Amino acid sequence: MSQELLEYHNVLLKSIFTEAIVDQQEPVKIDQVVSDFDNVMFHISTPESKTKILLSIVLKSWPDLEKYGAKELLKAEYEGFVTETEVGYNFSLLVDLENLPCSTLEDRTLLVDKLSLLKRNAMAAPFELAFQQFDEMSKEAQQFEIGSYTPTDAQTEVMAIKYRDEETIYIQPNWDRVTIIFSTGFKDETDQVLGKVFLQEFVDARRRALQNAPQVMFSKEPPLEVQRAGFNGQLRPDQSFITFVLFPQHIIPQRRERAISHIQTFRDYFHFHIKSSKAFVHSRMRHRTGEFLKVLNRAKPENLEKSTRKI
Amino acid sequence: MNTTPAVVMDNGTGLTKLGFAGNDSPSFILPTAIATNEDSTRSRRTSPSYVIGEEALARADGQNYSLSYPIRHGQIENWDQMERFWESSIFKYLRCEPEDHRFLLTEPPLNAPENREMTAEIMFETFNCAGLYIAVQAVLALAASWTSPKVVGQPLTGTVIDSGDGVTHVIAVAEGYVIGSSIKHIPIAGRDITSFIQTMLRDRGEKDTSLRTAERIKQEYCYVCPDIVTEFKRYDQDVTRFKKYEAEQNAGKVVTVDVGYERFMAPEIFFSPEIATPDYLTPLPEVVDNVVQSSPIDVRKGLYKNIVLSGGSTMFKDFGRRLQRDVKHLVDQRLRQYEQQAGVKSSGVEVQVVSHKRQRSAVWFGGSLMAQTPEFKNYCYSKQDYDEYGPGIVRQFSLMNVG
Amino acid sequence: MSQSLKPYLNAVRHSLNAALCLESFGSEIVERHSYPEVEAGNDPLALLNPMYISRNENEGVLIETSVNSVRMSLRVKQADELERILVTQFTRFLSRRAEQFLILRRNPLKGYDISFLILTTHIETMMKHKLVDFIVEFMQVVDKEISEIKLFVNARARLVAESFLVPFYQ
Repeated sequence: MSQELLEYHNVLLKSIFTEAIVDQQEPVKIDQVVSDFDNVMFHISTPESKTKILLSIVLKSWPDLEKYGAKELLKAEYEGFVTETEVGYNFSLLVDLENLPCSTLEDRTLLVDKLSLLKRNAMAAPFELAFQQFDEMSKEAQQFEIGSYTPTDAQTEVMAIKYRDEETIYIQPNWDRVTIIFSTGFKDETDQVLGKVFLQEFVDARRRALQNAPQVMFSKEPPLEVQRAGFNGQLRPDQSFITFVLFPQHIIPQRRERAISHIQTFRDYFHFHIKSSKAFVHSRMRHRTGEFLKVLNRAKPENLEKSTRKI
Repeated sequence: MNTTPAVVMDNGTGLTKLGFAGNDSPSFILPTAIATNEDSTRSRRTSPSYVIGEEALARADGQNYSLSYPIRHGQIENWDQMERFWESSIFKYLRCEPEDHRFLLTEPPLNAPENREMTAEIMFETFNCAGLYIAVQAVLALAASWTSPKVVGQPLTGTVIDSGDGVTHVIAVAEGYVIGSSIKHIPIAGRDITSFIQTMLRDRGEKDTSLRTAERIKQEYCYVCPDIVTEFKRYDQDVTRFKKYEAEQNAGKVVTVDVGYERFMAPEIFFSPEIATPDYLTPLPEVVDNVVQSSPIDVRKGLYKNIVLSGGSTMFKDFGRRLQRDVKHLVDQRLRQYEQQAGVKSSGVEVQVVSHKRQRSAVWFGGSLMAQTPEFKNYCYSKQDYDEYGPGIVRQFSLMNVG
Repeated sequence: MSQSLKPYLNAVRHSLNAALCLESFGSEIVERHSYPEVEAGNDPLALLNPMYISRNENEGVLIETSVNSVRMSLRVKQADELERILVTQFTRFLSRRAEQFLILRRNPLKGYDISFLILTTHIETMMKHKLVDFIVEFMQVVDKEISEIKLFVNARARLVAESFLVPFYQ
């Protein structure tokens, strides 16, 4: 994976499960509460015995996700591992190392991957649902002549997932596209300005180089879809909306899984790189400040004497 | 406000420990190393790509990456690299948005206040972290010992023996403040023990004398004995004391390595350094005694009573017991002398060495303990504080009284 | 170097050279004290006429002279929001290290980005022409640095945007 991108899975979960399932190391006692992006927390523990790993997840956006079928989706995805949900969490899995359903190395690796993608899969539900609706609607649209088909508003519910305190993802399927809108904001002034520069590049990318990329739009005003989702919150001045329009070529079945994983990382990817750029700007300034000091110190006669003596 | 756990980062010279407060062990332990790819033509336009930790060590073999260690002797030397190291730690390993979390960082004793300001500048300006607390490593090691049943209450006075891979420090802490003038460093630590074992294996002509084997033997078989002479005799009488280690070589070949006297000889170099090096001759118990004696007289009792171990190289079985005996011996000797001279009976001085389960990552664990308390947020400086007062604000942190 | 920059810097260099004729001067108001008169500003006899040199409406230098101190304030080009942010960041970065920079004034004069305060002691311990060299080089480099950083940020943003969008159709 390219250096710039963020991983879809949780690194710690992956390393714990790799040790336990793939490498089959001696089972150890585990009890860790770890956090992930977007107010997600995991609790990985071995409450009964060292060979039974309990993994629980709690998401801030769970009420929204549950509405769009997250529970059913997770149950299907992790069939055989689902267990009674731990108190204080939204969903729990129990992995019994002594009774693993898979034996080959390849299967075990796949299982590890699946387990470490728990957060991604939980967040995937509304996206899956949107793509399903897209399928149905485009099929229906094919019966009409292209262009003359307009779906009624009632059919296309806008899904809203409040995944952070003041940030929400909106998803709306349509017969020829799926629209995904992120509301995001920056509290810091520097971040706001940098954020604007970055967003502009997202918007321009398609026009400039990547004709096949999804269309990206950026606005200060809530887009129509957001208003239709019943947006009535107070808008902070630093908040804005980023719209991704996924066209049919982006959601063909073989790209779908990846698209879901990828779009989820947008917000953190975006914030990560703002900070990363600031780090770079700082290191340049640090360097430049050092250079200035050198020039200033040249004005001091004692330094001059020293340097001439050396020669 | 938020219920996200605080992030605890302990950046040491060799290893960095990362994790969330409330856990009893760090989530990640990785080398404090960063490999940057400065070479590519792309880098001038954008910025160099880089990797940290184990991956950095692996990449460094290649042509395009240059490896660097941003921390030297406990102090951050290269701020550019450190900033990137933190960035990767936060986003790629811990996977958290720093704006949602408070951070507890550690610093070595006698860290310059300017370094604290630099740290704050990065944590607040680059990462906008929600809150920051910087704690002295030795103080956190003391806090970690509170979990031991031997420790009564939550004392912030004690002598910390921190022994990692490269160097061993003996630090006296009084009421949460490091007594700077009495800090002592000992050039004997984990690395020296490993190489001592390696030399013994080589001298005997064992089939496998790699560093890895020596390391494994150190971790699995070594312990501290009360007295070397009797220990030698015991070995001669009881053959079962000799062990065998199965070393795995390249291509799955397994060879058997005999493990003998090095089991107790290797850790012995803390107590009799002359067997390993001619350059350094003061045994650890004597150093500890010196440190306490050079501290103000009114805290000495507290320092003897609470000698706390921290770091991987203090994990040998009976290390604490031997240390306690030897220090006690020195103290009693001095007392007897005093009694003779003054003709007064002394009430005695209690010497206690505290070992506990979390010794290996004691500093990190101490940080985790402190940062999980609900009061922690009151001790942190927030981004608002920073913006209002500037980086100078981090020169002073109040001590945390947890409990 | 662009056409207008050279004469501008030259003008600053000569004016500074002329202005930096300082001598030790005791305060007329408080006995046995010596203030930088340009900062105190309450003794009209010690003050000279200030001078403003400008390249265009956004860039300029204000040189205020007095008998024992010179205050020089700089306005740096800020074409857009990003440049404005970068300049503020940079000046904040510098003023935090003002201790080492000796002649840097911790707070810039109102309406300016960076201020220097040069005292008699500075002139006595440092070579005047090198000091002027420093200020001129500083002015020159700051502009260049800001535009380079700006270029970098834009390039970086482009790379970041493209690397994110590519996986959607690859």
